[in-house]
Amino acid sequence: MPVVDVHPDELRRLTGHEEKSDDELKDDLFSLGIEYEGETEDGEMQLEFEADRLDRLSISGIARSLRYQYGDVRGVYVPDTNDPDWTIEVEDVPEQRPYVTGAIVRGLDLEERDLEAIIQLQEKLHATMGRKRAKGAIGVHDLTMLKGAPAREGESNSIRYTGVDPDGDTFVPLDSDAEMTPAEVLEAHPIGENYAPLVADYDSYPAIYDDIGLFSFPPVINGKRTEVTTGSRDLLIEMTGTDQWTIDKMLTIVCYALDARGGQVESVEVAYPDGTVVRPDLAVETKTLAHERIERTLGIDLEEDEVVDLAERSGLDATPATQDGRPVYDVDVPPYRVDVLHPVDLVDDIGRAYGFNELVPRYPDVSTVGARTDASRHEEAVRNLLVGLGFEDLLNFNLTNETELFDRMGLAPEDEALGAEAPPTIIEPYSEDYTVVRTWALPSLLTVLENNTHRAYPQDLAEIGLAAHVDESTETNVAERRTVAGVLARHDASYEDAKGRLQALARNFGASLETPSTTHPSFIEGRTAEVILDGDPVGVIGEVNPSVLVEHDLEVPVAAFEFRLDALR
Amino acid sequence: MKLPPQQVAVLEAASADDPTDIATLAEQLDEKPETVTGAAFALEEAGLLEVLETEIAEVSLTAEGREYADGGLPEVRLYRAAHSLGAADAPVPMGEVIQEADLAGPQVDIALSNFARKGYGDIENGQLSVAADVDPDQDDEAAALASLADGAGVEEESLLDSLERRDLIEREERTHRAVQLTEDGVTELMAGVEATEAVDRLTPEMLTRGEWREASFADYNVAADAAEPTPGKVHILRQAAERVKEVLVGMGFEEMEGPHIDADFWINDCLFMPQDHPARTHWDRFAMSAPEKIDELPADLVGRVESAHREGVGEDSDGYHSPWDVEFAKELALRGHTTSLSARYLSGEQIGELEPPRRFFSVEKAYRNDTLDATHLLEFFQIEGWVMAEDLTVRDLMGTFTEFYSHFGITDLRFKPTYNPYTEPSFELFGRHPETGELIEIGNSGIFRPEMLDPLGVEADVMAWGLALERLLMLMTGFEDIRDVHGTLVDLDFLRTVEVEY
Repeated sequence: MPVVDVHPDELRRLTGHEEKSDDELKDDLFSLGIEYEGETEDGEMQLEFEADRLDRLSISGIARSLRYQYGDVRGVYVPDTNDPDWTIEVEDVPEQRPYVTGAIVRGLDLEERDLEAIIQLQEKLHATMGRKRAKGAIGVHDLTMLKGAPAREGESNSIRYTGVDPDGDTFVPLDSDAEMTPAEVLEAHPIGENYAPLVADYDSYPAIYDDIGLFSFPPVINGKRTEVTTGSRDLLIEMTGTDQWTIDKMLTIVCYALDARGGQVESVEVAYPDGTVVRPDLAVETKTLAHERIERTLGIDLEEDEVVDLAERSGLDATPATQDGRPVYDVDVPPYRVDVLHPVDLVDDIGRAYGFNELVPRYPDVSTVGARTDASRHEEAVRNLLVGLGFEDLLNFNLTNETELFDRMGLAPEDEALGAEAPPTIIEPYSEDYTVVRTWALPSLLTVLENNTHRAYPQDLAEIGLAAHVDESTETNVAERRTVAGVLARHDASYEDAKGRLQALARNFGASLETPSTTHPSFIEGRTAEVILDGDPVGVIGEVNPSVLVEHDLEVPVAAFEFRLDALR
Repeated sequence: MKLPPQQVAVLEAASADDPTDIATLAEQLDEKPETVTGAAFALEEAGLLEVLETEIAEVSLTAEGREYADGGLPEVRLYRAAHSLGAADAPVPMGEVIQEADLAGPQVDIALSNFARKGYGDIENGQLSVAADVDPDQDDEAAALASLADGAGVEEESLLDSLERRDLIEREERTHRAVQLTEDGVTELMAGVEATEAVDRLTPEMLTRGEWREASFADYNVAADAAEPTPGKVHILRQAAERVKEVLVGMGFEEMEGPHIDADFWINDCLFMPQDHPARTHWDRFAMSAPEKIDELPADLVGRVESAHREGVGEDSDGYHSPWDVEFAKELALRGHTTSLSARYLSGEQIGELEPPRRFFSVEKAYRNDTLDATHLLEFFQIEGWVMAEDLTVRDLMGTFTEFYSHFGITDLRFKPTYNPYTEPSFELFGRHPETGELIEIGNSGIFRPEMLDPLGVEADVMAWGLALERLLMLMTGFEDIRDVHGTLVDLDFLRTVEVEY
């Protein structure tokens, strides 16, 4: 979940509530669903919140939400926008990144702290909606450093979003003093190296030009020429990406944040080959919300004017209407709300404004009949019998690695033996210890024995758990089964000890047991048998091979068995 | 009269003239002192013997006390060392004195503090000087220690108190018992007392032959500890799982089952999780390299799910602005939540179409591709539950969870509005810790979104919640590190001795 650093003094200033203590602020934030996580070295609050309300990624967005909560402002707010003076011409762009949007914000008076806040917002938007810049990337520039070419005779300035050959042009990127080609940036500039994978399969790289030349290489890095400083008063914000809606919404959030800092938003024309659009798109969307849906979801009765009031306190505007004879509301949703996908999201807003903890819980008057599955009751019954036979019930991980499953058991995956099967394998495991799902459970029990040689013997351990292997005959291409494994570790453990317990299991579940001699690399030859229950070969039983015992640092003999749980059904 | 053999022996050994103490009797009779004491009390009960009790304060040296009794008190050693270095005339650096006295470790502090307490001299600026008029040979504490080491007593209480404060002695109150025959005892002895035959163990033969009627059973020390068997025991986490299942079945929930390794379609797409959601990148998923994909997905359902992702469902519904590819939906992964089972059941693909009302649950493993720590493992048990019914409200959701958690001693539930891609409204559940009273997160819940339910063909409302079983167990028991409980690093002694949950 995103974390934003916010200075409490600035939050007080932006909300106009100088009287609020830090603790009061924290409580107010918590009821918005924003949690105080700690403090930075500079005394900023680290605030964590859910990834739906991306309009709160900036301090001004958080302040706006608080002002709605305090009732200082009501209803939908949309910043005034001046007519466009600049155009972004789109031509010959890389096909993987065809979309661009932009806006100009004028008249800003930026202090160091404001700059940091803008950079933070930019980073947080990249991390969330921008999907680490893959879906949308933001560039902010000092407008006065740009020289626009007249787009149309005598009308306005223009810049160009286009493609450039990897070594087709040069510019000085941020944090550098050297002229570099885009390809050189990817190889030699730290930020370039970081984002190189994003454009790895591009033939031509995204590039933005003004009349002077190349000044931005999205989604990787801006040029130094247009770098924003505390002296910058007018900014150009451009965004490129793989989805127009996404970059437009990111732009909206940035425009609202700069508007809150006193900037004047000015539109930009984006001239695609097949048509021109004007951005930012701050159009208010209207959704129809049925009164009944609100009452049915929240479980309370509400008057019409209450709903209107709750909506306005959420930064929405609700206008009562009727649809098919039923009361509804036409709800205006401000453009920065990227989380409203459906009228249910508006019900949530109204519930939050009402206060969910004001609702009185009730146990639903709905009658159903509860039940365990047969498999689950059966598993519990077998587990209880194992415990009755003196086994300590164990619970091991289903994830393990091939060394544990095979090598340390003296087994090879291609052997004809229980456990010697292709394990379902994870693509990019975090840890070398957990790379596959286990094909059998005895290796887990031997590891527990290995880790407990300092504990009192006898150690009789059993586990019922998952085992799986690759099997193309199933729907998921994995055969999953419940397996029963048991070990008897003691100074005089013998085949007979294991066999006796297995007989008891079979008898108590009405299964006929045969144990014809077999071989298995993990067991001693001549003391190994196949477990056949009701005529089906389902497992193995025997005395564990000394080489396996020594591998697990065991100094006592171990008798063991493993078989499919469903064979006892 | 007939008495058990030990009682006969004690009666015969006791004297009517002088008290005989129990220890002497025990030695004489070759019996344990407890046995003799038992017999003596039984005889006193019968009026044949009198047990005379006196309270004795016993003083014994601790290991440290014995060390000082042999080698001298540290402060005395310090004084002597200082004296030998001429500290009576001029101050000597402390380090030299400590070395000369051969003091080390905690003894240095002990020596310095008692040196000062007893007025042996002054310590200033790291320099030590000794008072000339002190005679450490006359040290009361040293003398008392020596006396105690010789087995003699020390009368002065204040001296014993100060030695006890220094942990050099231990004082214990003990009851000394002695016995003396009563007149009745003498009379009975004169009349003749016979021993009944004492029996150690009751045998089958004694039962069949009737010998048990004549037998007198030797007394056992029933208060003593016995050799303890190791019970076979259901794993503590399984016990907790069983408890949860029992509560849920009692509340009308039916159990679900299904694959651990499943298609992303069931794990995420059916839950209206956009395909470019950060949680669906390979970093957070346990995606499989072998096998890679599920063979088949229900084509109609795939179409409806894709459409919900792209365009939403019904009026005024937007869907996501994210790519959607059925090939990604087919990719296999270890399920990140058991909500994949809920998706399968709700779709009607698992056990057929469901008619409301129904309640379902599972307590099964889910997987997370992350680092291990005290509260997070790569695999954990997720408690998943949902209710499908007409017209469920947020209040019904709150009431259901209030009921569930009350069975585990967790009350005073709070509902913090939160965000989940597949529920709206969504709540994090907070409850009071039964022990600490702290408000802690105990689950996540919500009402499934139309964009999830519509494609699955569900027209009723469905509310759902999830919670890690491990978290509930930690709350119930106060465990702090889940790695001690689950997995091959488990300590068998822990499993053998951990208290049972019920």
